[in-house]
Amino acid sequence: MIETREITKSFGNKAVLRGVSLSVQNGETLVVLGRSGCGKSVILKHLIGLIKPDSGEVFVDGEPVTGLAERELTSVRRKIGMLFQSAALFDSMSVEENLAFPLQEQGIRDLKVINERVAEALEMVDLPGEQKKAPSDLSGGMRKRVGLARTIIGKPRCILYDEPTTGLDPITSDSINHLIRRLQRRLGVTSIVVTHDMKTAFHCADRVAFLHEGRVHFFGTPDEMRASKDTEIMNFIEGHSGDTDT
Amino acid sequence: MQNILTKIGRAALAILAYIGEVAQLAMESFLSIFSMHVRWRLVMRHIVEIGARSQIVVIVTGAFTGAVFSAQLYFQLQRLGMASTVGSVTAVAMFRELGPALAGLMVAGRVGASIAAEIGTMKVTEQVDALRSIGVHPVDYLVVPRVAAMMISMPLLVAECCAFSVLSANYVALKVLGIAEAGYMRNLIFYVDLFDIYKALIKGFVFGLIIVFVACREGLRTENGAAGVGRAPTEAVVISSLAILAVNFILTFALNIIFPAS
Repeated sequence: MIETREITKSFGNKAVLRGVSLSVQNGETLVVLGRSGCGKSVILKHLIGLIKPDSGEVFVDGEPVTGLAERELTSVRRKIGMLFQSAALFDSMSVEENLAFPLQEQGIRDLKVINERVAEALEMVDLPGEQKKAPSDLSGGMRKRVGLARTIIGKPRCILYDEPTTGLDPITSDSINHLIRRLQRRLGVTSIVVTHDMKTAFHCADRVAFLHEGRVHFFGTPDEMRASKDTEIMNFIEGHSGDTDT
Repeated sequence: MQNILTKIGRAALAILAYIGEVAQLAMESFLSIFSMHVRWRLVMRHIVEIGARSQIVVIVTGAFTGAVFSAQLYFQLQRLGMASTVGSVTAVAMFRELGPALAGLMVAGRVGASIAAEIGTMKVTEQVDALRSIGVHPVDYLVVPRVAAMMISMPLLVAECCAFSVLSANYVALKVLGIAEAGYMRNLIFYVDLFDIYKALIKGFVFGLIIVFVACREGLRTENGAAGVGRAPTEAVVISSLAILAVNFILTFALNIIFPAS
């Protein structure tokens, strides 16, 4: 369903992506792993056209999206929802308004339908009845859940998760991991999860891509990754920096 | 010498690039307006923010400027026996130049800074990307309603600024300084014509567009977190204020061709 072919991207003099090729099949969950700053989030933003590659192509449902203008990307973006690292809730709106916004943009005007869909989305992320709260009243975990509810309310066929557990305590992270898996099963959506949290990776992934030095260093199943003898992968899984105290 | 020329050249290119970016944003916004992508509920909200809440600032500015201008003119002109022209000179100066420029500068400070800070914060907290990911063009949602609100509000604010400046000038001249009312009013009516009001409103309209496009450009280009959000409003106010002063000079000549001074 989604494919990148040899995409490269530099910011100033820094080459972040040096030819990344990935493909994600319908209904599967791909986890993209890599160290901080290695370009994981940049890949996600390429998939919905928030960033244009310097070279290479991105395909959604077999159609190239790289050359599309901002307004032409609307149909692609309605197929793909994205949960941002900071949740990116609109802070001038309540939870309810945040969730209703994508529906209103799709042209849904019936208040009854909107209210039902908002309530259903909040229930799916285990936050029933929180419609009237302001984003500033929510904890980090709740913000991510509301962000996720806003992502799924438009019924996308693919969900992109940008560091869904970063900054959360282990219990909340675990609950978000279960939520990702549950939504994937319940909605049958394709998921791409960018993270450096190994627990998230092994919990959610059907396949794993490991980014290193701007390229896909490893692509396979979680079991294949665990069994890998590659030094970079082993160091990443075990969290070894190679530094010493002295 | 070559070094200095290189620096001047780079600065000129940077200014041209900036004007190009603002012009591109303006073009996208007008295309959006003509394609009927206007969200009128947001326009109304911004009219309250930009127009209604700026009234006190421009009224106070206009009133005190008119009062001071009137007093200063009186101190000079009464020695020449021309005190009765104080009202007409004040009114002409306020309508043609000071009213639009002062209202523009005050609105740039109040509204331009607020627009740049709000959009800049949305940019660095990924809310602008979130809008785009939902399929909403940021120009449609963030820029167009503010532009429409500014196009409606700014001429009205300039009109208020000029009206209160003339009223306060009248009060100071007639009640405080004791200028004879008949001659004062005759000169005021004789020297101020409809073209002066047109000039004020047109200038206000143009200054409003400068403020809103510069502020939106600064907001949408904000980077580097809190530091960037701190810088965006300052840049918006400085750039739009300088642009208002420069464009005012050009408009003065251009409008004098269209509406020649009587």
